[in-house]
Amino acid sequence: MSYFAQALINGIALGGMYTILVLGFSIIWGVMGVINLAHGEFVMVGAYLAWMASDFWDVDPFVSAPAVFAVMLLFGYLVQRVLVNRIIDRPALVSLLVMFGISIILQSVMKVTFSADFRLANTDLDGAWRLTDRLTVPVTRFWVLVVAVGVTAGLNLFLGRSRLGKSIRAAAQNREAARIVGVDIRKVYAVTFALCIGLTGVAGALISPLLAVQPFQGPPLTLKAFAITAMAGLGSVRGALGGAMVLGLVEAMLALYVDRIGTNLAVVASFVLLVAALVLRPQGIFKGLRHVDATST
Amino acid sequence: MSRAAPGAGAVARRWPAGRAVGVGALIVLVVLAVLPLLGGTSNATLLTLTLMLTSIGVAINWNLTGGFTGYVDFGHAVWFGIGAYATAILISLQSNGPQVGWPPVPAILVGALVAGFLAAIIGRATMRLKGPYFSIAMLGTFVALREIVRVWSPLTGGGVGLTLPPYLNRMLFYYVELALVAALVVGTWWLRRTRFGAALMAIREDEVGAETRGIDTTLLKTAVFSFAGLSTGLFGALWAYQNTFVDPDIAFVEVRTIDAVMGTMLGGLGTVAGPVLGAAALYWVRELLWTHLLDAHLLAQGVLLIVIVLFVPRGLVGLVDRRGTSLFELWGWKGWRLEGRRLHRGPAAGGEAEAAS
Repeated sequence: MSYFAQALINGIALGGMYTILVLGFSIIWGVMGVINLAHGEFVMVGAYLAWMASDFWDVDPFVSAPAVFAVMLLFGYLVQRVLVNRIIDRPALVSLLVMFGISIILQSVMKVTFSADFRLANTDLDGAWRLTDRLTVPVTRFWVLVVAVGVTAGLNLFLGRSRLGKSIRAAAQNREAARIVGVDIRKVYAVTFALCIGLTGVAGALISPLLAVQPFQGPPLTLKAFAITAMAGLGSVRGALGGAMVLGLVEAMLALYVDRIGTNLAVVASFVLLVAALVLRPQGIFKGLRHVDATST
Repeated sequence: MSRAAPGAGAVARRWPAGRAVGVGALIVLVVLAVLPLLGGTSNATLLTLTLMLTSIGVAINWNLTGGFTGYVDFGHAVWFGIGAYATAILISLQSNGPQVGWPPVPAILVGALVAGFLAAIIGRATMRLKGPYFSIAMLGTFVALREIVRVWSPLTGGGVGLTLPPYLNRMLFYYVELALVAALVVGTWWLRRTRFGAALMAIREDEVGAETRGIDTTLLKTAVFSFAGLSTGLFGALWAYQNTFVDPDIAFVEVRTIDAVMGTMLGGLGTVAGPVLGAAALYWVRELLWTHLLDAHLLAQGVLLIVIVLFVPRGLVGLVDRRGTSLFELWGWKGWRLEGRRLHRGPAAGGEAEAAS
C-alpha cells in the first residue's frame, strides 16, 4: 500500500513536470495551428542555459529561470520573425518539416558547442522529505510542481482576463472574425510564439537538475508533449494539467508494477496513450481552444 | 486531376522526353552493373555504393506512402529496424539470443515478411489518423518499438545487441540491392500507370471523394503501407547480414527516416525518379559535408531541409516536370494550389473527378 502511495506521489510530481513542459507546445498548436516539432529542442536549449548559469556562476536553476525566460522569449521572437511567420498559412506538412529542420539545427549546434556529454544543473532544493518511514517526497520535483501550478493559474488568468489574452483566444477560435473586430493577428502570433518559447525555456531550466541535459534529449519530450496535448485538447491550459497528470501517474505506476523494465516502457506508454486518445476521442478529453480532429481532414 | 490520368494527347507529347529518361536510366543501370566487373573497385567502394542503394531503396518505399498516398510517415525507419532484427534473431547463434540458427536466405525473407506483417497491423490502426496526427503516431511507433526491442532481451539480446556470423561477399550484396532498386523503380513507374496507382493518388487528393467513388481506401492504403514496410524490411534484413551486428541504436536510427523524407523532398514528392535522384544526391552531399564539416553536417542538413521546403517545394524533378505533387497540394491549405512557381487560390483548371475514376 505504501508503495502505491509512493507511486502516487511520484506520479503527481512527474505530472507537474510534464505540465510545464507541455503548455508552450499546446498553446502554439491551439492558437497558430503550428505543430512545434522542435519543442523538445527549445526545452533542451533552456536546460543548457540553466546548466550554464549553474556551472559557470553557481546560480540555482530556480533563480535563473526568469532570466532563461527572458532569453528564450527573445529567441522565440526571432525564430518567429525569421521562419515561423513564413509557414503559418502553409499546409501542415510545410510547418512540420520546417520545425523539424529547426530541431535538427538546434541539436547539431548544441552538440558542436557542448559535446554530447550528459550534464546536470545543481540546485539547493534537492533531496527528499520523509513523510513516514516509507514515504518520501522528492523536493526538486515538488517545487517544479508548485511552479507548474502557479504558471498554469497565471496563464489561465492571462488568457481569460487580460485584453491580449482574449485576443489570443479569439485568434485561435476564428482568425478571420478576430481580424474583423480589430485584433492584430501578426502581433498576436508573435506574442504567442515568443511567450510559449519563453515558457518552454523555463520548463527546460526547471528540469535541468532532474533530467540529463544533452543535445538529443528533445525528441522524447516532443512526443510526450504531443501525447498530452492530444489527450488534453489543443491549447487547453487546464487540460494540459490533467493530461500531464494522467501521463505522470501512468509512468509512475508502470515503474512500480512492471519489474525492472517499467521505466523503459514509459515512452511506449505515452505512445499508446497518444494513439488511443486520437483514435477513441479525437476531440480531446478537455475543452481546448480548437478541436483536435485526427480522423478527418 | 489531369496529372494523375494524363489525356492521350499529353502522353503523346511527353513520350520522347519519357523515352530519353528511360534510356538514361538504363545507361545508369548498365554502368552501375558493369562497374564492379572492371576491377579496381575495392570492398570499401562497393560497401559505399551498397549503402547508397539502401538509402535509395528506403526513399522509394517512403515515397509510396508519403508521395503517392499522401500519408507522411515520420517513423518509416522502424521497418528497417524490424527487418534487421527479425533476421538477426533467426540467424544469430549468440548465447544471449534464442539461437535459432537459420540459414541466411530464408532468414532474410522471413525478416522482411515480419516487417511487412507488423506494418499491416500497425498501419491498419495508425492510417485511420490524418495528416500530422498520422506522422506523429508513426514517430511514436518508431520510438516505442525501439524501446520494446531494447527491453525484450530474451528474444533480442537487449541493449547489448546480437552478432551475426560474418559473410562478407560485398559483390553479392551490391548486385542483390542493385536488382532490388531497379525492380522498385520499374514497379513505381508501372504503378503510376495503373488504376491502383491512380486510386492511391486519389486518396491523396481527396480521400472522402475516393471513398464515395467506390475505392476501398482502407484496403489500398494499408496494402501500400504494408508493402513499403516489407520492402524496407528487406533492405534492413540485408543490411543486418552485411553489418554482422545489430543493437537497438544502430538498427533503429531516426536519420534513416530523415534521409528518406529529405531525399524524396529533394528529388520530388510523388514522382518515380524523385526519390532515386534525391536520395543519391543527398547521399553524396552528406559524404561531402561529413568529410568537410564533421559534426556540423547535421546543421547543414537542417538548413538544407528548410531551404528545400520553402524554396524548392517540387524538388529537382519538379524543375523540369510538373506532374509530381508539391508540398502545397499535399495537406493543402484549402483551395491553394501551386501552378508553375506561383501559388494560386481558387478551383483547379482540370476536372477534379477524373482522378478517382
